[in-house]
Amino acid sequence: MSYAAPSIMPSFQRPRSHVAIRSASSYDVDLGKILSETLADFRLDVKGKSVLLKANFVGADPNHVMNTHPGVVAAARDSFLCLGASTVMVAEGPALERDTEAILEAIQLREYLGPLDGAFVDLNVDDVWPVALRTRASSLKRLYLPATVLRADFVVSMPKLKTHHWAGVTLSLKNMFGIVPGHCYGWPKNILHWAGISKSILDLNSTVRPDFAIVDGIVGMEGNGPTQGQPKASGVLVMGDDPVAVDATCARVMGLVPDRIDYLRRAALLLGNIAEDKIEHIGESVARVMQPFAAVPEFEHLKAKSS
Amino acid sequence: MRTALATDASFAERVCLPDLMAAQNPDGGWGFLRGQDSAIEPTCWAVLAVCGLGTEHPLSRKKLNGAHFLRQQQLSDGSWPLVAGEETGTWVTALACLALQAIEGATPELDAARNWLCGSWPGEGGIWWRIRHRLFGQPQLIAQDHRLRGWSWTPGTSSWVEPTAYALLALRPARGSPSFLLSVDDRCNLAQEMLCNRMCAGGGWNCGNPAVYGTAGTPLIGPTCWALLALGEFRQRADVSRCLSDGLAWLERACSEAQGPGSLALAHLCLKAFGRSASPIDSRLSEIYDHNRFLGQVPALAWASLASQPVPRWLQPASFESN
Repeated sequence: MSYAAPSIMPSFQRPRSHVAIRSASSYDVDLGKILSETLADFRLDVKGKSVLLKANFVGADPNHVMNTHPGVVAAARDSFLCLGASTVMVAEGPALERDTEAILEAIQLREYLGPLDGAFVDLNVDDVWPVALRTRASSLKRLYLPATVLRADFVVSMPKLKTHHWAGVTLSLKNMFGIVPGHCYGWPKNILHWAGISKSILDLNSTVRPDFAIVDGIVGMEGNGPTQGQPKASGVLVMGDDPVAVDATCARVMGLVPDRIDYLRRAALLLGNIAEDKIEHIGESVARVMQPFAAVPEFEHLKAKSS
Repeated sequence: MRTALATDASFAERVCLPDLMAAQNPDGGWGFLRGQDSAIEPTCWAVLAVCGLGTEHPLSRKKLNGAHFLRQQQLSDGSWPLVAGEETGTWVTALACLALQAIEGATPELDAARNWLCGSWPGEGGIWWRIRHRLFGQPQLIAQDHRLRGWSWTPGTSSWVEPTAYALLALRPARGSPSFLLSVDDRCNLAQEMLCNRMCAGGGWNCGNPAVYGTAGTPLIGPTCWALLALGEFRQRADVSRCLSDGLAWLERACSEAQGPGSLALAHLCLKAFGRSASPIDSRLSEIYDHNRFLGQVPALAWASLASQPVPRWLQPASFESN
């Protein structure tokens, strides 16, 4: 079995990225309308393609603070189907809990998507292929990765807007840790921590770079994330076809400086744009929606002075 | 719907075991899902579920094919790899020991596997690691005693609750044996201390971080069950007795709210193993199955089958009096 990894483009060759910031005051607004209009703006070529939505379902939190809200996931699925995708699967490999179904039931995913057997793929127990990593920032060199992800024509990273006690923030690039299969690497996927979180993020995303990112920041998490922080109502959805630019924009929305975030600084070298002048914003401006997030003491230095 | 066919048989007999048997591959092993290539972990759980049926059960011979698959995958150093074709042993070695021990009893191959387990140390906790951790680590981040080491998921990484619990269960038959390269008892005692050190405040275990930045971690049912079952052997020790008491109390509360099939089945199995009253779970399992068919996952089917049977000997705390 083979897998063709995406191309890596040095920053001086890279065109400007586009990132959309949409306001959404709560999960009760018409998320389908917001997402379908925004995705149409990007003119995504998904007709006839298999789309995989990599959500962030990390724990059984019925209050929807630590996980991508199922309403956002369902709206994304419907929007990609409207754009002509042949199939849209929701997928996740939770990092801490082996009983994935317990998480999915706690967050009521079935109520939004219908029966999950056939609509959801547990990446922790998927078939795996050995894949040589495109970059060698970490000591990993190769990983077993889920066949469902490697077969997908179009991968969408759908994280929650959160601070993270190890990585500073967890957004669309860090969310890809969830594709690393638990049945190979355990709960948690500790091999990624030992290889260096920032370096592993780069190696993983250089190999399986998301084609698009949709960040659920309607209610995010600040402080001791990704599971023990406090809810932060930011009222935004951030989307774009350059996940590095999306994460950089999210960092600015959180009142953080992107190039102080180790993994983003590394990713900017090879995978996408973080400089403001290389990112064109659609919809709201960063200044209009920015709300400073609290960070754990180790990451206080990430904060912009004005925040 | 299949579950609506009311019979006197348990949900496991009517649904889980037939699903489990239909998922067995021609090579004797099981994948995590029906139709997947065989893998070590799901094969171990399936074999253990079938072992409990007794030799007269029509499905009982399936375990022999499963054992054949497992024996074929064992590496020359006695361990088992994560994926067929890999040459590095990992945590599934403990599960393979449990499955083959349940079928065959003691064999030289199992001694080799247990020797490998005894010599498989996690990456943290050694003297150089501790010095580096003291100088460059973030001690305020996680408050746990790194001298206490168990087993890791992947070679050379940190100790975690589940692989440590599986290894302790797998090494039980070897406790006190002089024939091993390293002292099994010393290794198990250290791991027992590690499990007690990693218990969450108020009882129960998560994957192995009881607190981060001073915030208490939330226990999870799976790791709690495996930690309790592994610690049962040491229940006469004061620190273990407290852990068992707090952990079982937490588990009794959590069981009533379990929403996943694996969590519900394991909680029921664990409470039964400790003689706690565990209310019947047939109707709850059936309801969960009707929602999502357990996502088709073989381990969940196997655990549900195990939960419906008498507690197997390898999980009975009272069966082992070595301490």
